[in-house]
Amino acid sequence: MSSSIANETVAATSGQEGFSFYRLVTNIYFLYAVSLCTFFLLWDRVAAWQVFGDSLARPHAVAGKLYDLSQVKFAGTNLAGHIWASTRRVLVGFTLASAIAVPLGLFMALNKYVNAVVKPIFDLFKPMPPIAWVSISILWFGVGEFSKIFIIAIGTFVPCLLNSYNGIRLIEPELYDVIRVLGGNRKDEILQVSFPASFPAIFAGLQISLSIAWTCLLAAELMNARNGMGFLIKRGMDTHQPALVLGGMVLIALMAWLSSLLISRIESRLCPWKRSIDNL
Amino acid sequence: MNPSTDEPQLKILCEDINKTFIQKGHIEVPVIRDINLQVAENEFLVVLGPGQCGKSTLLRIIAGLERPDTGYVALDGFPITGPGPDRGVVFQGYMLFAWRTVLGNVEMGLKLRGVPARERRSVARHYIRLVGLEDFENHYPHQLSGGMKQRVGIARAYANSPKVMLLDEPFGQLDAQTRMFMQHETVRIWEQEKRTVIFVTNNIDEALFLADRIILMEGKLPGRIKQEYVVNLPRPRDHEDPGLLKLRTTIAAATELVL
Amino acid sequence: MAYEEVVVKKPLLLRILPFVSVGVFLLLWEWVVVSGIVPSVLLAPPSKVFTLFIDKLSEPNPDGAVLAVHAWTSLQEAFIGYGLSLLVGIPLGLAMGWFKIVEGLARPVFELIRPIPPIAWIPLTVFWFGIGLTGKVFIIWIAGIVPCVINSYVGVRMTQPTLIQMARTYGATDWQIFRQLCIPSALPMVFGALQIALAYCWTNLVGAELLAADTGLGYLITMGGRLGRPDIVVLGMVSVGISGAILGFIIDCLEKKLLAGIRR
Repeated sequence: MSSSIANETVAATSGQEGFSFYRLVTNIYFLYAVSLCTFFLLWDRVAAWQVFGDSLARPHAVAGKLYDLSQVKFAGTNLAGHIWASTRRVLVGFTLASAIAVPLGLFMALNKYVNAVVKPIFDLFKPMPPIAWVSISILWFGVGEFSKIFIIAIGTFVPCLLNSYNGIRLIEPELYDVIRVLGGNRKDEILQVSFPASFPAIFAGLQISLSIAWTCLLAAELMNARNGMGFLIKRGMDTHQPALVLGGMVLIALMAWLSSLLISRIESRLCPWKRSIDNL
Repeated sequence: MNPSTDEPQLKILCEDINKTFIQKGHIEVPVIRDINLQVAENEFLVVLGPGQCGKSTLLRIIAGLERPDTGYVALDGFPITGPGPDRGVVFQGYMLFAWRTVLGNVEMGLKLRGVPARERRSVARHYIRLVGLEDFENHYPHQLSGGMKQRVGIARAYANSPKVMLLDEPFGQLDAQTRMFMQHETVRIWEQEKRTVIFVTNNIDEALFLADRIILMEGKLPGRIKQEYVVNLPRPRDHEDPGLLKLRTTIAAATELVL
Repeated sequence: MAYEEVVVKKPLLLRILPFVSVGVFLLLWEWVVVSGIVPSVLLAPPSKVFTLFIDKLSEPNPDGAVLAVHAWTSLQEAFIGYGLSLLVGIPLGLAMGWFKIVEGLARPVFELIRPIPPIAWIPLTVFWFGIGLTGKVFIIWIAGIVPCVINSYVGVRMTQPTLIQMARTYGATDWQIFRQLCIPSALPMVFGALQIALAYCWTNLVGAELLAADTGLGYLITMGGRLGRPDIVVLGMVSVGISGAILGFIIDCLEKKLLAGIRR
């Protein structure tokens, strides 16, 4: 009776009923399959009927394009080379920024004088979208690797710092009392409470940062690059090859998804105590 | 067990304690006023009072987590200036370290005091067994029920071998059944490991079941001591015991209802 | 009750430090450019940015429009895109949270689209809609819809199961439970999405304008870069930052009003 409802605990009993059309259309995996098939079919038809003229490639054309790219060199390197060029930029920028921002955020939360000095300047920069730095970064660092890494680092910096800062700010103050009544000092409070308790928040910040990092990378590469996935998309735009554009989009989405998966894995490895809180 | 016969030693002394909090940055709220209190060694003292009556603040002052504005607090004759491992505290909200296992939580105090790993492990295991959680020592707090969490809280406080145990409405978040069971457990644990206990609660039955002596607080701020009752009944007690019920009526009559 | 009032002050140093910090920052910025440590082709001092700001209020050159026109273009795009993403994203997310059929059909596609950075759509939107308003609105819409869907979905899912069961025992239909129970209880989460979606929209707007535009604050930044005019770039960045902050502030006030509204 209630199996069409998603968060219903009572629905579990419906499993004993026999096969019926109604049960089929409310089966989640069936629906997923229908959804994906419809999506790709619709995409294919829209492209084949030229609803957007010749500006949308059919799915198999995109797959074919990606396969071609993996076989022959394009702009000096093959597909793996382009993927690696982009990934390396994200990796360097992301690591650099989080290595500075996370400790700084923790430090700001733990020391009010550091906070009073850094926070106002940080607040000045916070509302500025990282992509707005693209032009000035090219002005400063030219069109090489560093200007792209700089943008990624700028974009990553803000959420990393904010989350590690809030991670400590939002700790239950009574937890510090526990350390004190057990005979610990300020150092113990920081090591035994502040750091471990802020871990999940730091990881949430890394997760947000990572998705921003890919966006920033794309902005930087679209503006100016000689390789990378953004370059593929830009080249597809300039030479009017929708298949290349879509291929680039697929790749970057895939990489963004994989990297976020990686971070979650690392998190559940490092914070085993957090795992089941999420599944609650 | 009878405090009048064997001349008990004074453990905790509070003289003329006053405390005022400042709310929203500028409003002064007097929380406790003119508290005078003496607690004897191995006495089980229960501070009884309704919701907001400053009883938790009193406990926090004895724990050293708050400084009184005026007055004198001493443990064994030495003034209390801050928190220390000689007073173990059990918190209402459990306050376990979510990132440590039961064993990690219980041995935290010993770890902070630099006890070597092997020794603190065996001490911690002793207290985990005392509270009956030996099968759960590698569980994380979120895998435990409320009653089990508070057992960890009790074991953690005990593991530091404090002279005084301070319990701040420890069973306030438990359901009635578990609460009753935990009261029995508290008496059992206390009889095995005798300590001076100050136990704060808002529940008359809990107070009567546990206490050697009950301090009744006034029902509104600022908190003052209203009455003192000595409970001279053998343990384990029965909630239906006529002597207990008689005392319950007296205390209930003295407790004003605050709505 | 008549409690006494006392004034508690933060330590003087703590109250002064933020101002000192910002002041020193601005002075340092001015000084490194004026003294020539950083060449003036790379960075404009604050004073120059400010004079440019005054000029740009009435002077369309060299980028083709006065500041107000750029800002108005950006705001227009942002508001239309943001509005559309709320209009589509919130109902979709709410329905996904409650109706299994909607979830089953919408979720896989949503998960496919979600990891694509919105600005990756720029080339396609240029192909499809040209560099006008429509393309940018599309990108902003894509950017804003993600947090709207997620928050509304989670909001519905966090409805207390006991409340749902209680409603069932009173004989409420699925649709009644959805309207009377799930939507109201999801509202705080939904309002939370307003702020996040705005930030996403604003960031991606700048990205869209950097690449495909002929007016707008993002375009101002790009032109400054092309012309080698750091003062224009910085002015553009500052304008983007300030207008973003103002929008955020407005949404924040709105959110608080709305939240107070449902609490009542």
